[in-house]
Amino acid sequence: MTRADAIRICLAYLAADDIVVAADGAVSREVYAVLDRPRTFYMLGSMGQVGSIALGLAMTRRERVVALDGDGNFLMGTGGAVMIGGVKPPNLYHLVLDNGVYGTTGGQPSLSRQVDLAQLALGAGYRWARRCGSAREAAGAVAQWLAADGPAFLALPIDEPEAAPAPRIPLAPETMAARVRAALEDA
Amino acid sequence: MTPSRWFDALTGAGIDFVAGVPCSYLAPFFAACDALPPGALLRATREDHAVAACAGAWLGGRSPLAVMQNSGLGYCLEVLSSLHILYRLPLPMLVSDRGAASDFEEHRFLGQRTRALLDLFGIPWREGTAGQEASDARWLVAAAAEGRGPTVLLVGPEGAA
Repeated sequence: MTRADAIRICLAYLAADDIVVAADGAVSREVYAVLDRPRTFYMLGSMGQVGSIALGLAMTRRERVVALDGDGNFLMGTGGAVMIGGVKPPNLYHLVLDNGVYGTTGGQPSLSRQVDLAQLALGAGYRWARRCGSAREAAGAVAQWLAADGPAFLALPIDEPEAAPAPRIPLAPETMAARVRAALEDA
Repeated sequence: MTPSRWFDALTGAGIDFVAGVPCSYLAPFFAACDALPPGALLRATREDHAVAACAGAWLGGRSPLAVMQNSGLGYCLEVLSSLHILYRLPLPMLVSDRGAASDFEEHRFLGQRTRALLDLFGIPWREGTAGQEASDARWLVAAAAEGRGPTVLLVGPEGAA
């Protein structure tokens, strides 16, 4: 399963009013390439803050907030995971696309093979956490994850390289942020 | 509840979401945060996560405030740069002004460079004045909204003259 495959599976399960926070780098670009929507916030920098941004949204909104994270990114922001586990927003759903490397920067190894990310999330206080073992179970795991009580965590294994990198997102950062806020203001 | 003039002034100026890490200078402020409605206070594990959560709260339609000691500004710089400044997100920040010559030595190095650091990053700042909390708070919220970025109010020990 490539990262783009996993993103396609996940996006297929989203409801129209779900709010998405997409991690900086390849995750955002691939999410944009698969399905652009005004309720998706695309990060460009501030690595390690996917969960924290999603938490700020989940605390202030009723809709489901889906954080699409990477393993290196999640491990950089474990303090944010601790905040999510402590606050326990029932509408926060955190997905880690776990390829074991810093994919955007050339595939340098992360520590995700040495650290049990789902146990880390449970220890922090997430109500549900699981690591999906194989690509063929991914769709079922995503469905279970989104049906669980939040905050819920799922790690999906990414075990195939991308065919081609997705291009950069052709939107100004200011536009990306303003349209999320406007979409939520109109709700 | 401990009275906090900064808390009263900032909520009076429209702040409705607070994320931060405590400082002893700001103990009355954090005590007063108990009065916030459920879900309006995030006790952050580190200052960078606090400002990132404030970005999320702003996207969600709120008027957030980040609160921290000036030592926490160092942790925040990348997030302020590539999130708030890049995306033009308003962020009022209440920051304790540690590092005076009479303060403990661990506060002095960064504390004495706080203003230069803010200037280097183009972050507007003002020294809060006891007795002028309401006007300082209005300035902070308005300047962050107009500048569409982080804006800092530096404050001393609350309750001191």
